[in-house]
Amino acid sequence: MELFQYLPQTNCKKCGKLTCMAFSLELLKGNVNIEECTPLLDESKYQNKYSKLKELLKGEEGQKRELKIGIDIVKCDGCGICVTICPVNARYCYSILSGKVADYPPDKHQLFMVKEGKCELLSIENCRRLVTEGKERECRVCETYCPRVAIKIEYI
Amino acid sequence: MINKKFLIKKNTEFKKMSDQIKITCSGCSLLCDDIIIIKHEKDIEKILGTCLKGKEKFNQIISKNRILNPLIRKNNSLEKINWDIALDKAVQMINNSIKPVLYGLSNISCEAQLNAIKIARKINGFIDSNSTICQGQVLNFASKIGITTMTLTDIINKSDVIILWGVNVVESIPRLLSKILFSRGKFRITGREIKSLIIVDIYKTASFNVLGTRDLALIIKPDNDIELIRFLKKYCREEYKIPAGGNSGIDKQDLERLISILLNSEHISILTGQALIKPQGEGHPMKELLELIKILNKYKKIGRVSLMMVGGHYNMVGFEHIALAETGKNQSIQFRNGKSVQTEETIISKLQNQDFDLSIIVGTDPISHFPAAISKNLSSKPMILIDNKKSGTYLIADLILPTAITGIECEGLAFRLDHVPIKLKKIIDPPNNILSDAKLLENILMKLE
Amino acid sequence: MEMILNTIRLIDYDQNKEWIHNDIESMEDNLAIGFINPMDFKEMYLVPSLKLRISNKYGDIIIKFKQGKDIPRGIILMPISMWSNQLSYVENKNIIYKNIKVQVEGTRDSPTKLIELINRIKKK
Repeated sequence: MELFQYLPQTNCKKCGKLTCMAFSLELLKGNVNIEECTPLLDESKYQNKYSKLKELLKGEEGQKRELKIGIDIVKCDGCGICVTICPVNARYCYSILSGKVADYPPDKHQLFMVKEGKCELLSIENCRRLVTEGKERECRVCETYCPRVAIKIEYI
Repeated sequence: MINKKFLIKKNTEFKKMSDQIKITCSGCSLLCDDIIIIKHEKDIEKILGTCLKGKEKFNQIISKNRILNPLIRKNNSLEKINWDIALDKAVQMINNSIKPVLYGLSNISCEAQLNAIKIARKINGFIDSNSTICQGQVLNFASKIGITTMTLTDIINKSDVIILWGVNVVESIPRLLSKILFSRGKFRITGREIKSLIIVDIYKTASFNVLGTRDLALIIKPDNDIELIRFLKKYCREEYKIPAGGNSGIDKQDLERLISILLNSEHISILTGQALIKPQGEGHPMKELLELIKILNKYKKIGRVSLMMVGGHYNMVGFEHIALAETGKNQSIQFRNGKSVQTEETIISKLQNQDFDLSIIVGTDPISHFPAAISKNLSSKPMILIDNKKSGTYLIADLILPTAITGIECEGLAFRLDHVPIKLKKIIDPPNNILSDAKLLENILMKLE
Repeated sequence: MEMILNTIRLIDYDQNKEWIHNDIESMEDNLAIGFINPMDFKEMYLVPSLKLRISNKYGDIIIKFKQGKDIPRGIILMPISMWSNQLSYVENKNIIYKNIKVQVEGTRDSPTKLIELINRIKKK
């Protein structure tokens, strides 16, 4: 969204995309180059925006961002919704399918576990955001459905 | 010879198994039967799967507010006494009274409830449980109108719609939603994607955070539930137009969606709490809701609408069943000459009219739960408390008898909120000389005889 | 100001939990608490350091308060405890825990202690 703000927002279609919004999304994914937006380079009034965009994109390329799932231990009440709803958990632990507690010791694929009344993140190696492709990569179910708003997915 | 071999094999197996056991949590009325305990010799090392509320139950074992000795109140301070004197004193207090009252009984096992009813029968007392001021009232209406219930498994496997009416389950029973809403059932394999949730409440509670795009949040004006239910009844019975201004604070669009969900989905489970127990105006919302369910069930060709009351104490439902089997009445039982007699009185009216001369409180805290005026009446007469931890009642009771924690230190049977009996296990030994509720009540009963 | 009191269950302010961990002397820290809308807060000219005196014809208590933007105007929420039960009452054999009419005003006094409530009950 931040990228979109610095584009011309005229939907001129010179880049080959239908709208500037579509271009910004492609830009985020790294599919297109910023130079493909010709008005940004040619017209002097966009010079400021162009330099800012360059800065923003450099920041992303310069250091690779790492996925982090943060759980606020103070807010968490151990309801186990994240354990049940996580698609990876459900695929590898049968008992989770019917809302039950998973077996112990946990499966190596399991992401979340409730321990001593609080939720614990075991590992994020198998999180959908890392291992899958396409739409599944946008998975955010644990964050969306946490009733305590204790889970945060961020890139650091 | 073969027998002996078999026994040895079984013993070694048991030793291996004892490291990890599955137990039932008695923290709330959901009675999660899938909690895993890792034991190290005689102590509990890890507890897996409980919510914060269940964890608190385990914290009670070593809590500083645990009662470990029988206590008696002399000159406004509590003194330690030994068990023999304590039991004698209890029996003496009971024998001196003419109109004793037993109350509580929803935080003890079914075996203990049975013994309590036997004591009440023996001493010609009045016995009542917490369900009188909670879900017991629903069953009273249901005896006239009828009720459709579903078990939790039914809801997991079949439900399409779950309605939370005036109950904030995220705060009161944390694991309920992960069990019924987010789990994938047998016939509804996709889980959250197919089940929709409707929440009716007066403000945006924590439960509203689990709502998705297909779900419906209805914020209603206080004391207007009955209006909404009456409107829905009217709509289902005859052709009736939705008023442009909506009803009881809900706009027209939401009402249309609510009605289309109610009429077009198959299995609907309605969960209600304390909010609908209070009479509103001249009518009673619970009665109207039961009638609405009846009308909806007539309309439906496939599936059904069911009601589930969400209570807090872990064995509140159990008392209804035990009392019904023993006396033919589910609550507020008055014994005379060893038989239960017809009475209109409840624990509230008894305490309000001061129609008692001794109260025996088992496993609950009425001084904190009841309005101050009633607590005042309760504290004006002698009181025996049977409980395992300190509470508001502890500060007032004249004789206090400690017990073990059911589900951790002793076993027992309990009924889940959907009326399914579940066995509670014993994990560790209780501290010095402390008996279970069932055993203690049995001892008192024997002494009375 | 006239408001409507609703008693609710909250996992962070559960009286059962308090009785497991806390001392009798400091019980009011967590249980004597209410939640109001920020607009009501402004309307009553309150400051965060003040406490609330809630009263009706059945009793009166002094509690701390917090603001919550999700709480509707004119409503005060309290976790079920001995404090909230000073204001509840009985009507036709039913205990009224919800939608109780109360008078609310700011005060500089400290919250009511548990021992004080017990003494009120004990007085015959």
